[in-house]
Amino acid sequence: MPLDVIMPALGMAQDSGHLVAWHKSPGDEVAEGDVLFEVETDKATMEVEAQGAGYLTDVTAAEGTDVPVGQVIAKISDSPEGSGEAPAAAPAAEPAADAGGDGGDLPEGKDVIMPTLGMAQDAGQLVAWHKDLGDEVGEEDVLFEVETDKSVVEVPAGVSGYIAALLAEPGEDVPTGQTIAIVSAEKPENPVRRSAAAAAPAPAKAPEPEAKAEPEKKAPAPQQAKAPPKSPAPQADPGGKILASPKVRRLAMEEGLDLSRLVKAGYPQPYHVSDLETLRSLPADAATEAAAGGAAPARHLVAEIDPSALEDFVAWAGEAGLSDPGALLAGLAAAGLPGASGAVAVEAHGATRVFTVPAGGALGATEEAEAETSPDLLVRDLRGSPLTAVSLGPEAQPVLTLAGKGGTLSVTLECAASQLTASEAVDLLTAFAGRLDEPLRHLL
Amino acid sequence: MAQSKTTKTTKTKTNSEDYLRMYRQMVRIRAFEDQANQLYLSAKMPGLTHMYSGQEAVAVGICEALNDDDRITSTHRGHGHCVAKGAEFKEMFCELLGKAEGYCRGKGGSMHIADQSHGNLGANAIVGGSMGIATGSALRAKLQGSKDVSVCFFGDGATAQGLWYEVMNMAALWKLPVIYACENNGYSEYTRTDEIAAGSILDRAKAFGIESFEVDGQDVLAVNELSAKLVERARKGEGPFFIELKTYRYHGHHVGDINRDYYRSKDEEAEWKKVRDPITNFGKWLESEGIASADELVAINDEVAADAEAAVKYALDAPYPPGEEVDMHVYKGIEHALA
Amino acid sequence: MREITLSKAVNEALAEEMRRDETVFILGEDVAEAGTPFKVLSGLVEEFGTDRVLDTPISEPGFVGIGVGAALTGARPVVDLMFGDFLFLVMDQLCNQAAKAYYMSGGKLNVPMVLRTNLGATRRSAAQHSQSLHALVAHIPGLKVAMPSSAYEAKGLMKTAIRDDNPVVIFEDKLMYQDKAPVPEEEYLIPFGEANVKREGSDITLIGTSSMVQVAEKAAEILAGEGISAEVIDPRTIVPLDEKTLIESVKKTSRAIVIDEGHQSYGITGEIASRLNEKAFYHLDAPVLRMGAMDVPVPFSPALEDLTVPTPERVVEAARKLVSGELIHAA
Repeated sequence: MPLDVIMPALGMAQDSGHLVAWHKSPGDEVAEGDVLFEVETDKATMEVEAQGAGYLTDVTAAEGTDVPVGQVIAKISDSPEGSGEAPAAAPAAEPAADAGGDGGDLPEGKDVIMPTLGMAQDAGQLVAWHKDLGDEVGEEDVLFEVETDKSVVEVPAGVSGYIAALLAEPGEDVPTGQTIAIVSAEKPENPVRRSAAAAAPAPAKAPEPEAKAEPEKKAPAPQQAKAPPKSPAPQADPGGKILASPKVRRLAMEEGLDLSRLVKAGYPQPYHVSDLETLRSLPADAATEAAAGGAAPARHLVAEIDPSALEDFVAWAGEAGLSDPGALLAGLAAAGLPGASGAVAVEAHGATRVFTVPAGGALGATEEAEAETSPDLLVRDLRGSPLTAVSLGPEAQPVLTLAGKGGTLSVTLECAASQLTASEAVDLLTAFAGRLDEPLRHLL
Repeated sequence: MAQSKTTKTTKTKTNSEDYLRMYRQMVRIRAFEDQANQLYLSAKMPGLTHMYSGQEAVAVGICEALNDDDRITSTHRGHGHCVAKGAEFKEMFCELLGKAEGYCRGKGGSMHIADQSHGNLGANAIVGGSMGIATGSALRAKLQGSKDVSVCFFGDGATAQGLWYEVMNMAALWKLPVIYACENNGYSEYTRTDEIAAGSILDRAKAFGIESFEVDGQDVLAVNELSAKLVERARKGEGPFFIELKTYRYHGHHVGDINRDYYRSKDEEAEWKKVRDPITNFGKWLESEGIASADELVAINDEVAADAEAAVKYALDAPYPPGEEVDMHVYKGIEHALA
Repeated sequence: MREITLSKAVNEALAEEMRRDETVFILGEDVAEAGTPFKVLSGLVEEFGTDRVLDTPISEPGFVGIGVGAALTGARPVVDLMFGDFLFLVMDQLCNQAAKAYYMSGGKLNVPMVLRTNLGATRRSAAQHSQSLHALVAHIPGLKVAMPSSAYEAKGLMKTAIRDDNPVVIFEDKLMYQDKAPVPEEEYLIPFGEANVKREGSDITLIGTSSMVQVAEKAAEILAGEGISAEVIDPRTIVPLDEKTLIESVKKTSRAIVIDEGHQSYGITGEIASRLNEKAFYHLDAPVLRMGAMDVPVPFSPALEDLTVPTPERVVEAARKLVSGELIHAA
């Protein structure tokens, strides 16, 4: 039984050995202990001895090639003719076309390489050979077909002679620049057929080390797992990071609070849990600027009217089926908004309701809205209370307050300067006071 | 084949059965190493390994003088001690290949291989690292009044470690039942021993008042005879002892160390193999004494080789430990250290 | 309850365990008649004899290796390493041999050995007799590491260490040997991996090891006077570490300072801070601060040495900053 000659693992951390030289040729008789070949590993060259006696045969690794450790590179057989069996451990290696041909020494001749044909191509797939081993071939004869960039190209031999070696198999991807055939001047005696995988390291003339068909062996580089893109943070970042503890960030997120409002309000960073109290008590957004900024003053306008017209109007409307005084107030107030429509909150007797007033709609079209609807305007009805006038400062939206008793109804508009310009504020209050003074005009 | 138990009398071997077991044990070590060498070269074995071939008479001669209660500490070149102290091929090859059924469940490998149940306290990858352990084992024996003896195997290279002098001092002060067995194979890794050792190694032990002996480490009978005598004396509290065993390693420092002309000539290696091989020479003696015929020895060789081959095949097919093994046996009493 | 010194507590623990288990013996330099330089072991040799209280030559790697071998084969040695600084001498025996035997043997051999040694600076002993090197061994899987903070812990942890089936390194603070604490007459053990909440608080957690527990307690006292409520926790063993108690505390207080006498860089404080960071991040209202020994060799001069160790005053100062929300190390 023939003895496998393997590329030995000799170094401390070695995957492959560089076969420097064979000290015996195929068919030579060898004795146990004879130096068979030289291997370079860990920067040292070592001589490897035969582990048994016999004849060196079935050499599958050529000098100058890198061979993975553990791979069978030859056999020591009982006869110089060799085992006749394929070397088991040589991956994808095919025996030479005839029994006498050995794979180690390639025939003399001109190399035919896998050409670079595509735009960005580092390998081509060999589709078919048009010639077989030993065939005569002319320079212009189509030698093989290659698929590259999704098209199949017929490639001429480029040289004349005889096919001495075919070093790739149909279906194989071969790095461009790698020798895939050898054309000899004379009809070859021992033509060689191999797969590109086995042949890859063979031609000493391989132009670049990259061309060696070894990468297949390598495990693919692990893909960097990318984190899925994060959804935008709920709170606005006013430009620049907010310095806040992990805990206060978590609590703010849980409560739906926006830490950037502390920044806007001018509170110094970093923020901690203790700052949450302040954040919770901050007035809603728009007013914040006014309150904190100080530069833009709040607006405070007061009108006085006779309440009787309004009282009469409400009574009349009740008889007409419009029995909700809140809706009536909302409708009258919305008329002063841009487009004469919007959401108006009416706060009376401690309860707040929000109404939506459609543009150009009749009084009856006013509808109560969802409680969460943020209003464009708040009407605070303090009639019947002892209060006669208010000055509460701006809130999240402009506020119209009705107050007073007896013969005078005071109507106060308060808002932040940023919410309404001075003339808009004057217009809003004038319109509202006018409608309260003469509600029936509104119907016209 | 199941390895015969090493529960035997500690008398000097006087019958054929004992001789044949010594022969077989040496052949088993050689067969194990041949397979291990091949496994490494053919890249089937992870890591690094150091061959014991050539030194078989040392491990076998000493371990055949011990019983299961006696302890040994082994070295990075420890396969031979492991076999000689009664280990089985299957579990050894499994360990060598990092398989779950290995003696150390695949967590030790070549350099920590040991069949603990036969008193092997482990192979040690630190040169000289087990000298304290063997001495401590002997101290325990003395304190607890048990009669077991501890043998510390180490190489000539380890005589350069300071630890040895510390523990020899204490062993001598306290008359511990420990035998320091220096396997002088002539080379400290890639360096000739006479380049690293000043004076006489034997004299170093003598300086502590320790009775010291030199023996031909290629002669299993000589080793065994001396060991048996010293083990008996150590049991009686006459220890410690030191033995320098002159021997030879056939391979390089490790498996890949094959071109070693720069420190050792091929002629020298060939000479040792030809003239001083412990197995061949003992085989010849067995034949000349009429204890075994050449054919019977060949039969032993073949049987052992077949055993080794079968065990390799078994180990190659055996499963690796499951991933959950990784944090087991970090702490006793905690099943998974990282759970 | 009676109060005894830490030294006496260790002595009692050893004596009790040696009476209970014949396989327990002591091995080390000047452990017998001398009773060690700190006199911790005085009297033991009289009771147990020189077979079980064994004086060794000055050969640290040798006798630690002997301890490993004895432990591997059925004894329970308590190996006495006179100064923690000598750990550097015994690294191979402790870290390559003792720590790994159980793992490398696939669970077939184990090393029930206690290495008793010490730590602590400010004894004016300079750089080679003042180090606190517990982080060194805590880094090695297979070793357990106990750090008693008072006589009570010293006794309970030592008894547990001796009964543990693994190599345990126990560090006593050499400045605490004469410190007294209440220690019950009746037998008790302190389990490994169970932290002790020494003082409850709500504003900040002070985690201290060994003598730094006292530093933390003093700091907590001062802070209480300022209206800051500090919780003080003593992990007692750093391997295994009772992460759960530490994390629960920090979830409550949202702030922590870790105080340890080992060098601050790459040390215990960093390890604990990092775990709190990983596992209590969303509960942190301030960065977890490390407070270790200064990253310099321990100097001799008292004027310099005292600068290198954490003090209650420094802990208080840091705690104030954390609680007041001062910007700490944020660029």
